[in-house]
Amino acid sequence: MSDAVLRARQVARHFGSQVALEPTGIEVRAGEALALIGPNGAGKSTLLALLAGALEPSAGTIERVDGVRVGWVPQRAAFYDRLTARENLELFGRLEGEPHYVGVAEELLVRFEIPADRPAHTLSVGNRQRLNVALALLGRPRVLLLDEPTAALDPGQRRRLWETVTALRDEGGSVVFATQNLEELELYADRVAVLQRGQLTFVGPTADYRELHAEEIFT
Amino acid sequence: MLVRSPLLLGVLIAYPLLVAGLVGLVAGYGSSKPRVALVDEDHLPQVVSVGGHRFRIQDAIDEVGKNVHLVRMDPVEARHALATGRVVATLTVPPGFLADLKSGLHSPSLVYQVTRGGISSRVTQQVQALVYGLNRQLQTAYVQTDLKYVQLIVTGGRAEFGGRTYDVLGLARMEKLLQTLPPGPQRDRIAEFARIAGVALAQTGSLLGATANPIGLERAHEDSRSSLLSAQVQSYALALTITFLALLLAAGAIASERDENAIGRLRRGLISMGELVSAKVALAAVVALALGLAIALVFGVIVEAGGVAGGEPWQRLPLLAAGLLVAGAALGALGTLLGALARETRTASLVAVLVVMPIVFLGLVPREVVPVAGWLSDGLPFAHAVRYFSASLYDPSPWGAVARELLWLLGLGLLFGGLARLATRRLLA
Repeated sequence: MSDAVLRARQVARHFGSQVALEPTGIEVRAGEALALIGPNGAGKSTLLALLAGALEPSAGTIERVDGVRVGWVPQRAAFYDRLTARENLELFGRLEGEPHYVGVAEELLVRFEIPADRPAHTLSVGNRQRLNVALALLGRPRVLLLDEPTAALDPGQRRRLWETVTALRDEGGSVVFATQNLEELELYADRVAVLQRGQLTFVGPTADYRELHAEEIFT
Repeated sequence: MLVRSPLLLGVLIAYPLLVAGLVGLVAGYGSSKPRVALVDEDHLPQVVSVGGHRFRIQDAIDEVGKNVHLVRMDPVEARHALATGRVVATLTVPPGFLADLKSGLHSPSLVYQVTRGGISSRVTQQVQALVYGLNRQLQTAYVQTDLKYVQLIVTGGRAEFGGRTYDVLGLARMEKLLQTLPPGPQRDRIAEFARIAGVALAQTGSLLGATANPIGLERAHEDSRSSLLSAQVQSYALALTITFLALLLAAGAIASERDENAIGRLRRGLISMGELVSAKVALAAVVALALGLAIALVFGVIVEAGGVAGGEPWQRLPLLAAGLLVAGAALGALGTLLGALARETRTASLVAVLVVMPIVFLGLVPREVVPVAGWLSDGLPFAHAVRYFSASLYDPSPWGAVARELLWLLGLGLLFGGLARLATRRLLA
């Protein structure tokens, strides 16, 4: 798989008669940040969920290098609303096989400044998103998949998130993030993949992407 | 909105009709006469003579027919009718029945077979009453015959035995005959014996009557709480409670996991679909066990404190606990299936509530009234839970029924669990 740690081979997904993603091939390489961009409904979230293993492909396969852990930050928060943030982190930490899940949960609660002992459904939108991100970091993933992760975060939390993400990349990890924010793309992406109406229309270095007219993509 | 959703409109119209129909069936069967097949393998004649008395078979049938509709059938037809629910029980007169009855050497037996269902205990009582009534009539006939022989010994006269006619001397005539013999101590001793024997045998009539019916039964009308606390009621209360609880809990749990998107995170290799379903099933089983035991304890305390008859949950608690656990698991599997199909928490809860009532009513409709209801009910855990709890609470020999219903519940649990596992894949869509 060369230096690719995660690869989609002609992967497609449809919901009933509605096609969310046409057969698509893409690879995620070690030590890179790959940005997924495209208008709403283009298939970005579907591709990320397929890469994360949270969704089964209608066709094609997802290949992952053995032993590589994948963290996933879905666009819609994914945890138990009736549990507290700490309980959610400890529960999913145990399921991820984290040996010191209590300590790791505490460390993430402090790092992301999440109210620890309130039921998750009482948390603000921003705090829910922080918990969503924190859960993705359990099990020390080598690949992080983020679906518009900064949409509900304040500037300080955005900065801390990108610090975490770039640190992972600098250590040889991989990051794939979907975004509508072109500034984030310019700042953090090494490569860009463009999805339009369920089809992958461009994959290449960020510099090559600049030559395209971004406005056209989003219309 | 309803116009745009014809399926929902159809369900809203059909559901109350379905429930009303089931309620009508349940309410109606209470006053209906259950059909019982009478299989006469001994070819009983119209009139049977036993102990010198003549019995009309049709009279006995008419007597029991006041409460049960007795239908003559051949053995094959009766077996089929019992299997398909056209009759609730079969009553077989085996070959040699009448010969045994006339000989007085063996007590012949009628063979009785009954289906499962809420009406079976009522029919069993009717058949027991029939046999009791026949025994009473036969006892009376035998006693009267015996008394005729006693009277013959006392007074003497002509009698027939084995086709020959005898002139029996009798104690009274013996006394007169003794008077004609020369007096002496031996004659006096024999005369004294004849006199005492005559007096003693004169009491035989009432003694035989008392022997035939040592204890009579008189039904007293008294209002009491015992019927409210009977084991049958406890069984229904337990089954109804855990059905509501387990279905709602499991359906709500799986649907809320999807609503909260937690299922997507779990699905990423953290747990398998089987584990996901098993967790809901285990949750329903444990909660059903805890709640069921709490209810049984409350019943037990009331029974003990009030000295009320019916149900012995203390002695059978471990057996009941096993049933609660397995029934809770089977219902939990069904609830998980409903939750996976409904997908949304609110819809799942609504569907679970809507489904509970037909499940319960189907379990109450006896198969002998509507065979289809019996078949459908067999495919759902409620009726099996009721039968298990009934057997474990008050059946003197519960093991057969308990084992059978346990197997049913386990089988249904595995079936619904497997279907739930398949349906859960839809939640990832």
